[in-house]
Amino acid sequence: MLAEAAGRDTVTVRTDTLPAKEQTPFMYRYDRRLERYQRRFNSLIPQTHVLQFYGDMGLVSVGIGWDYGKREQWETNFLIGVVPKYNSDKTRLSFTLKQNYTPWSFSLNEVVSLEPLSTGLYLNTIFGDKFWTHEPDRYPQGYYGFSTRVRIHIFAGQSVTFAIPREKRFFAKAVSAFYELSSCDLYIVSAFTNGYLKPKDYLRLSFGLRFKIL
Amino acid sequence: MLMSNRTTQNPRFFQWTAAFLVGCVLTACDMLESHPYDTRVTGETHINAKNCARIEAALKGRTSFRFAFLTDTQRWYDATVDAVDDIRRRNDIDFVLHGGDQSDFGVTKEFLWMRDILNRLDVPYVCVIGNHDCLGTGKDVFRTVYGDTNFGFTAGDMRLVCLNTVALEYDYSEPIPDFDFLVKEQQRMRQDSLKRCVFLMHAAPKSDVFNNNVATVFQHYLYDFPGVQFCLHGHTHALSVTDIFGDGTLYYQCPNIDKRKYLVFTIHEEGYDYEVVEF
Repeated sequence: MLAEAAGRDTVTVRTDTLPAKEQTPFMYRYDRRLERYQRRFNSLIPQTHVLQFYGDMGLVSVGIGWDYGKREQWETNFLIGVVPKYNSDKTRLSFTLKQNYTPWSFSLNEVVSLEPLSTGLYLNTIFGDKFWTHEPDRYPQGYYGFSTRVRIHIFAGQSVTFAIPREKRFFAKAVSAFYELSSCDLYIVSAFTNGYLKPKDYLRLSFGLRFKIL
Repeated sequence: MLMSNRTTQNPRFFQWTAAFLVGCVLTACDMLESHPYDTRVTGETHINAKNCARIEAALKGRTSFRFAFLTDTQRWYDATVDAVDDIRRRNDIDFVLHGGDQSDFGVTKEFLWMRDILNRLDVPYVCVIGNHDCLGTGKDVFRTVYGDTNFGFTAGDMRLVCLNTVALEYDYSEPIPDFDFLVKEQQRMRQDSLKRCVFLMHAAPKSDVFNNNVATVFQHYLYDFPGVQFCLHGHTHALSVTDIFGDGTLYYQCPNIDKRKYLVFTIHEEGYDYEVVEF
């Protein structure tokens, strides 16, 4: 083919092998922008999935999370929880924004590692017209002075993490089992002034699984 | 090895370990909660109906008896424990009335904590609903633990009419105060030939949570009852005796429990006496 071309004093140039830059400089800039755009949005893909039971955020909550920091010691979660009906009129949903700080992780071997402390706080809001953020207008200003809808919780817990070998991965590359003890603003102010209330009254236990996807 | 053999051979070791583990599991279960307002009630429920029946049975045929009145115990657990212990020590009280606001935030556990403290009493007690008890899902929990928010019972020869007066928390969804209920109570008194009565409510007429559009109508209904002795209320956390409508009906207010006071009323054939007890 090339020999034939040479014979006719013409040269066929395979344009598809040339750098794109020289051919379509405008597309190159756009591609770069596109790549940056995708990279930024990719970084928003949640790295973890969380399943948590109790903890005053729902009987069961499911959520997504992002971990970050040099040692991935920080993690932020969004969780949606289901609060069963029990003695009220309906089942309710609650929404939680949770910030975790896990300062240490100790590897026991290639598979198992322990996190002796995980702490942080979460804000929880429960849906339903029985709850308010600001007191409705019918009350004199500052009548109750708190929100029935939004709770702030502090927690501390521990976890054990199992790394899944690459060839055996199906859903996640690592799974952590955790438990936490927490308390919320209303329980803390109640406990502060009453010796009658014991830790089992104002502390709440929760437990769950954390799946590391990315 | 020798040590572990010794301990494992000791049957007590197993018993203690088992007891410890069971204790841990039970404590852990207590600490599982889906939400502070989840309305999950463990333990005794429908207390008012049960205790009304107990009071009626215990005081049947009597024309003199004594009861204690305490109210507004929200988030004062230690003080409420002391009040309950003080009433237990006296040993001369036939029953106890609670004027509402057992919870501060309407949180489910607050009702259970307060119920467990009041259950230490050796005598029956009944509770009316307060405005704080209505917050969040509090109304549902109150209904489950105590029952209807309007109820009445007969103590000896006297009718005790217990009313829900916290209209501000109901936004017209239920009639507060419930005049139909008052009419029924009046008929009941005539039926049973009862000659005197006492009213218990959380908030008095003309207070901020009362439906004050009907305050005078309410008083007319009360005035129509045979032998109105007095009314009991809480809510503004003060000790007071007021003739609110100038018609001779006295409204006695017991202060909140943190003031470490409760009232004791002694009913006798000719009338009644009362005292303020400091504990």
